Amino acid sequence: MAVRTQTLEGVATPQPPKPVSHYVSSFLRYLLLCVIGLVLFMPFILAALGTFKADSEIIRFPPTFFPAEWQVQNWARVWNTDLGAGGTFPRWLFNTAFLSVTVATLQVIFCSMAAYAFARMQFPGRDAVFSFMLATMMIPAAVTMIPAYVLITKLRLINTFWSLILPGAVSAGSIFLLTQFFKAIPKDLEEAAFIDGASHSEIYRNVILPLARPALLTVFILQFQAMWNNFLQPLLYLNTPDKYVLNVALSIFQQQFKSQWNLTLVGAMFNAIPILILFFIFSKYYVEGVAYTGVKG
Amino acid sequence: MAVNEASAVQSRRTLISVISFFAVFIALMTIALFNAPTMGGPRVMASVDTYLAEVRRSGLAFLGVVALLAIVLGLTVARMVYREWPNPKRRTNLIMGYLFLSPYLLITLTFTVGVVLAALYISFNSYDIFTPPQWAGLANYARAFQEKDFLQALHNVLWYSLIVVPIQTTLAILLAVLLNTPVRFRQFFRTVFYAPSVTSSVVITLIFMWFYLRTGYANFFISNFFGIFGVEWQNINWLGDPRGLIQLIVQAFGGDIPSGQWYLRGPSIAWMAIMFQNIFTTAPTFMIMFLAALQDVNPTLYEAASIDGANGWHKFWKITLPLLRPIILLVVVLGTIGTLQIFDQVYLATKGGPLGTSLTPVYIIYREALGAEGPIQMGYASALAFLLAVLIFFFTFLQRRFISQETQLY
Repeated sequence: MAVRTQTLEGVATPQPPKPVSHYVSSFLRYLLLCVIGLVLFMPFILAALGTFKADSEIIRFPPTFFPAEWQVQNWARVWNTDLGAGGTFPRWLFNTAFLSVTVATLQVIFCSMAAYAFARMQFPGRDAVFSFMLATMMIPAAVTMIPAYVLITKLRLINTFWSLILPGAVSAGSIFLLTQFFKAIPKDLEEAAFIDGASHSEIYRNVILPLARPALLTVFILQFQAMWNNFLQPLLYLNTPDKYVLNVALSIFQQQFKSQWNLTLVGAMFNAIPILILFFIFSKYYVEGVAYTGVKG
Repeated sequence: MAVNEASAVQSRRTLISVISFFAVFIALMTIALFNAPTMGGPRVMASVDTYLAEVRRSGLAFLGVVALLAIVLGLTVARMVYREWPNPKRRTNLIMGYLFLSPYLLITLTFTVGVVLAALYISFNSYDIFTPPQWAGLANYARAFQEKDFLQALHNVLWYSLIVVPIQTTLAILLAVLLNTPVRFRQFFRTVFYAPSVTSSVVITLIFMWFYLRTGYANFFISNFFGIFGVEWQNINWLGDPRGLIQLIVQAFGGDIPSGQWYLRGPSIAWMAIMFQNIFTTAPTFMIMFLAALQDVNPTLYEAASIDGANGWHKFWKITLPLLRPIILLVVVLGTIGTLQIFDQVYLATKGGPLGTSLTPVYIIYREALGAEGPIQMGYASALAFLLAVLIFFFTFLQRRFISQETQLY
């Protein structure tokens, strides 16, 4: 549409009046979009309302939509729950946030370094290593799970945050995304810098990194979210309450408070709200990253 | 003089290539030593000597394989260095290149390659991580096909992919096409549609577990819906119901399928409840991929079709779908690989039950490796992991085969 209005610029073509059917169909379309949006968002709405229900109301049939009595103190109850050995929600929130930020930051640094080598340097063996990287992407996580657990136990990293930070510090997917992005950056700037005698590390720091900020942010957000939502690895590697991340803690919390679903749902909200806020702020980068890693190449 | 200089350069190159050969060899062997399939209890880890004794006792075969690999790789590197060294510019490029790659290479060699080799070795042993591995040959692989659990898990994930993948792909295409029509607030709708996919599977699973309670919203909505037609709905405990789809159909005609013939019963109600939840969260992810592809489509194609008198339906079938073909294939393969590895939902919601109708390969691997029910069986778990990997490679291969240049990833 935008293209056409541009070409017709200045030529004042009188728009023919639109038929009624046009308005009906666009009204139906918006209605459909709103209904789908509501359906897809419904679990969050119902869960959020559920957090305010009383213990007896949450498992009563038929379920209510709005709480009969707003039990705001549920949130404080969960926030102050102590599972012993330092297992509290503030602690788990901190653990999860710390791990997510650390892993995402390391990924940005290490993956951009590797991507720079793949995209911008000429050295023997580069293409072989790149193909090797693409091959490792096909190894399913289920295969590495058991021996990685043995190895991490043996390195005495079990039940430390290193067990998640070290293996998580690089990923082939991020390197692939950044390599594609770096390749698209024009070479002129860099060649000028080379003539001035700049080294590779200077060009990486001063030319490529500033230009690649959107891609770096995309990697950061994708990896932050991946670590935040990671369940299997923290479940394997971290096994005392003070080390749990939110996902693992939630599964244990649910087993302890089996019928008190209102409390479990509050816990789920603690997990969901930060990532949803982050997603709403950065959704552009996020969506581009998902589309890019999957489709382009 | 010139000859002397040349031979000096020659010997320096030789020396450096020999050094780099040993550097690569030693680095790989160190990584292999860390990965050698022994288990450090306090006894083994007491000193380096006890650790090495343990490796000698249990990991020599593994180290031999790695040594062969290390020799081959070391020779390649030495040859490369020998060629590149005399030219200072190419020399710096070589060193800088591998310096930039070193964090990635070190971590991947340890936590992916080394670990996969170790898993291969473990899968031929019976290994409980407290005592050294005992060579078991192919027994672990044979056992996978003798026990009901793994076969049932394969049967389950097969049903799962058969049902989930077509539905989620279709829904994703429809959502993407809808969002690609000229609507205002497209960004807003896209963000809202995508929200279930960004939240953790644990959160979504917990919310759906609550929906699926006997007193939950699932029963409530269905009983209200049936109530419109005056039909009584018996509340069911969704995640605890082992009755299969085919079994229900047969029962409607008065027959039954005994539990001995579980493979004829079809997916259970509990399993289909998990499927529904999974479709709910994955369809929006794939919608994003389709939307990105649709926005690359040249709009003149549609305009030309409009001039030729094509209606929306024709445009969808004759233009949109053929253009989306490569992405449809990619999404189908990614979806299949994803469904084969489902774990979180099963661990949280059903633990494989009822009657094993929601067992999945990854859940069994986890269960056997950690000894959640019974003894720790690392060897058996590794063998299962490799069997699963073969299945996944098969699908990846199919994708590689049918999708050429347009999509390189995965």
